[in-house]
Amino acid sequence: MAELDVGPQGSLTIRLEVNGEEAGGAVEGRTTLADFLRDQLGLTGTHLGCEHGVCGACTVLLDSLPTRSCLVLAASADGCRVETVEGLARNGQLSRLQRAMWDNHGFQCGFCTPGFLIQAAALLEDNPTPTEAEVRHALSGNLCRCTGYESIVRGVLAAAEVPEQAGDESP
Amino acid sequence: MRGQVAAERYTGASVRRVEDERLLTGRGTFVADVQLPGMLHAAFCRSPLAHARIVAVNTEAARRAPGVVAVFDGAEMAQLASPGGVLGESPGAGGQVSFGILAIDKARLVGDPVALVVAESRALAEDACELIGVDYEELAPVVTVEQALDPGLPAIFEELGGNRLFGPQVKVFGDVEGAFARADRVVRASIHQHRHQNVPMEGRAILASFDAPSGQLLVRASTQGVNTTRQMLAQQLRMPPDRVRVVAKDVGGSFGLKFGASREEVACCAASRELGRPVRWVEDRWENLTVSGQAREESFEVEAAVTAGGLILALRVEMVVDTGAYPGFAPLVVDTVREMIPGPYRLEALSFTSSGVVTNKASYVAYRGPWAAETFVRERMLDLVAQELGVSALEVRLRNLATRDEPPLRMVTGPSLAGITARESLLRAAEAVDLTRLQEQQVRLRAEGRYLGVGFATYIEPAPGPRQEGEGGDSEQVRVEVDRDGLLLVHTAQMPHGQSHRTTLAQVAADEFGASLEQVRVVVGDTRQTPEGFGTGGSRFATMAGGAALHGARRLRGKVLEAAAQVLDLAPTELDIVRGELVGPGVPGGRLPLAELLRRIDLAARSGQLPLGADADLTATQDFDGGESGWSGGTHCCVVEVDPATGLVRILRYLVVEDCGDLINPAVVEGQIRGGVAQGVGAVLLERSAYDLQGQYLSATLMDYLLPTALDVPHIEIEHLSPVRLDPDVNFRGVGEGGMIAAPPTICNAIADALSPFGAKVLEQHLPPARILELIGVTSA
Repeated sequence: MAELDVGPQGSLTIRLEVNGEEAGGAVEGRTTLADFLRDQLGLTGTHLGCEHGVCGACTVLLDSLPTRSCLVLAASADGCRVETVEGLARNGQLSRLQRAMWDNHGFQCGFCTPGFLIQAAALLEDNPTPTEAEVRHALSGNLCRCTGYESIVRGVLAAAEVPEQAGDESP
Repeated sequence: MRGQVAAERYTGASVRRVEDERLLTGRGTFVADVQLPGMLHAAFCRSPLAHARIVAVNTEAARRAPGVVAVFDGAEMAQLASPGGVLGESPGAGGQVSFGILAIDKARLVGDPVALVVAESRALAEDACELIGVDYEELAPVVTVEQALDPGLPAIFEELGGNRLFGPQVKVFGDVEGAFARADRVVRASIHQHRHQNVPMEGRAILASFDAPSGQLLVRASTQGVNTTRQMLAQQLRMPPDRVRVVAKDVGGSFGLKFGASREEVACCAASRELGRPVRWVEDRWENLTVSGQAREESFEVEAAVTAGGLILALRVEMVVDTGAYPGFAPLVVDTVREMIPGPYRLEALSFTSSGVVTNKASYVAYRGPWAAETFVRERMLDLVAQELGVSALEVRLRNLATRDEPPLRMVTGPSLAGITARESLLRAAEAVDLTRLQEQQVRLRAEGRYLGVGFATYIEPAPGPRQEGEGGDSEQVRVEVDRDGLLLVHTAQMPHGQSHRTTLAQVAADEFGASLEQVRVVVGDTRQTPEGFGTGGSRFATMAGGAALHGARRLRGKVLEAAAQVLDLAPTELDIVRGELVGPGVPGGRLPLAELLRRIDLAARSGQLPLGADADLTATQDFDGGESGWSGGTHCCVVEVDPATGLVRILRYLVVEDCGDLINPAVVEGQIRGGVAQGVGAVLLERSAYDLQGQYLSATLMDYLLPTALDVPHIEIEHLSPVRLDPDVNFRGVGEGGMIAAPPTICNAIADALSPFGAKVLEQHLPPARILELIGVTSA
């Protein structure tokens, strides 16, 4: 990580890539990546459910790794590649994971949704044909209070079963 | 493929949710997602003590802190707003005590809001909270029911003269003394349900924006019902209701928590009105767990009058509710527990005594199936009776369950049991799990030192329950209209927060009107647009709103056909509406899109070409009282294995056999059931709102308050029974709460069964490994 420019009142200027586009801005040292994405970039799809790293609603991909954006300072994400729930659909087309979740009534209130989608997308990237036990294990760090998880697990398994379509790279 | 409509009708099919495209792409709108120009942020300075006199509040330094726009202490806030509200005036609900929106002279729980800071950012508001100096004079904390009834401890509200909030109130149904005199034995138990809580993934949140020139307050709320929120805000802010508009978009779960307006939410509205700027507050998880509200802490002394043949003739029940610090919802729950405790069983007499106390803990709120203690106590008691008589849990239930062909088909507390399928559900559950084989397996495994247990619970849920004699007054309104784009708009006071009402109400209306699903828009969450009604809760959506939409859409269809017939000079009987188009032999071109038909009707009406008395207003405002309706209910069955070395419980099988009438959308119904069962799994194995002896809250993070994860909730098998249809048209019944009502007793009964070789007696609901090891004597209590 390069040294950051310190601006007026101690603000720091960061530059990063978010969903494939250049982004940046002035942040306080204490600003979390989640708050930066939500408040400064307007990417409110990433939700804050606990702000202490347990519920997983704020999970984003940070240099391809699923990460709790409430526990990462925006300044430390300088120079990184971030992917959020807003980046899952490409060219207005839902990803196959999103479609499978829709078909399977994956979610109810929708608050935990972004974290599960990112976590599941990362799983399918690593392991395109997971077993149910592997899916449950991979999602066990994300909390949902509505569904009892079965519909989410089914959605991920269904996404894994759908063969890749041409031009559909995002799991 | 799931999501496609195979049949002609949408109703009954698992159509995909209209909500999902937005939510799956990160384009939902929760309160925290909304930013307004000039918006300020709220943070609360809160009491670190459970019980203390507030001697002085010094806000000077906070007022001078960077970014701070205003600070309000309790006395200042009292000038702007006063608490009270929908339930506030009923006895025991708080009518007889006084307190501030912010604590004024006393803090009554850890987290009690003492001052409100409004600043340019949330971080700056929180910084300033640290600068507020509060002098507290510590008082002895009142943490348990025993302490609340101890006259030596200080009263949390001086005007109560103690800490008893209501009761003891005794109600007697049938000949209790006679039944006990006839009984061959009396089975006694003290049964306790522990404190646990809603924990929606989105906590409470509000964005209040007062427009000074017009005097209008616009509130974006996270709520289960915009009307109830408006009613309470207007009352507490002392504003005419027409000056308050409440809007709700996406709501991240609630499970009973977000009704009306909390003290913090009222304070934010008052601050916005005072400052003329938007004020947003989004509670953090500490606040949500510590002060938003908790539920369920109820104790019962039960005596059952039992015959040698295993009939339970009567119950004597004494119930005490720990209502926490600020009174509210408990009296309503007590009434429902009393009415529902007989459940689907033929009890002939009941004596029910109820009391409520206040303690220095979070206030008692509704949580999914708020009255669920009736099922827990009854179903635990049935197993204890079975054990005492040496008969099986299945047998004791079968001997006592009411049967449709045996009068009187009525609970001893009054309600009719018309149409119940409880017996069928129990028999089917026992068959589906192959109980006989399981019991053989249980005996075999015990010889190997492995402990299998099977548990049942049978319940009925008033969702809303069959029509009762002399009952009246409850109704739900839906307004259905065709707009000029040919869309079918369905306006409802229901406020979905995960229940998929935008989909299911559209299914019902589309079928009844003849629209395509894509043509229907369900309008929710705006007091300017939606009808009166308290919102989503009490599992009332399916029957009440579903029924109103069905009848409203049917009536509107009649009006549209009538007007179309007049405009086209055809007989209404020659016309039909199919997938949103007018069709019929005389229709120009064979079919006319709804928008085009509307244009013609409108034109005819404007040019005076509609015959006198014809109705061109294509709106139907429909009230529905539930019709004949019926009970939701069923039987849950759970098979567990308990490891006596670790106390860990593994759920091997979980089966739900249920009857919620006709299904509008099976996938939605099953999602509701599974979600409820998951909360029951949490309640028994993980979740507890724990306090220490000083009233310090010990479960204030999600590392301390454990929610079930994908590894804790098992696969839940669901079978739907075919219902008894009592109403000619509307036989959808609510299903939101049943899972959470039945799961805790089912799982506890299974664990108790597994532990029976140890002589362990399960009289409580929270059974984490540590407690199981105590129950089997590995560790001491």
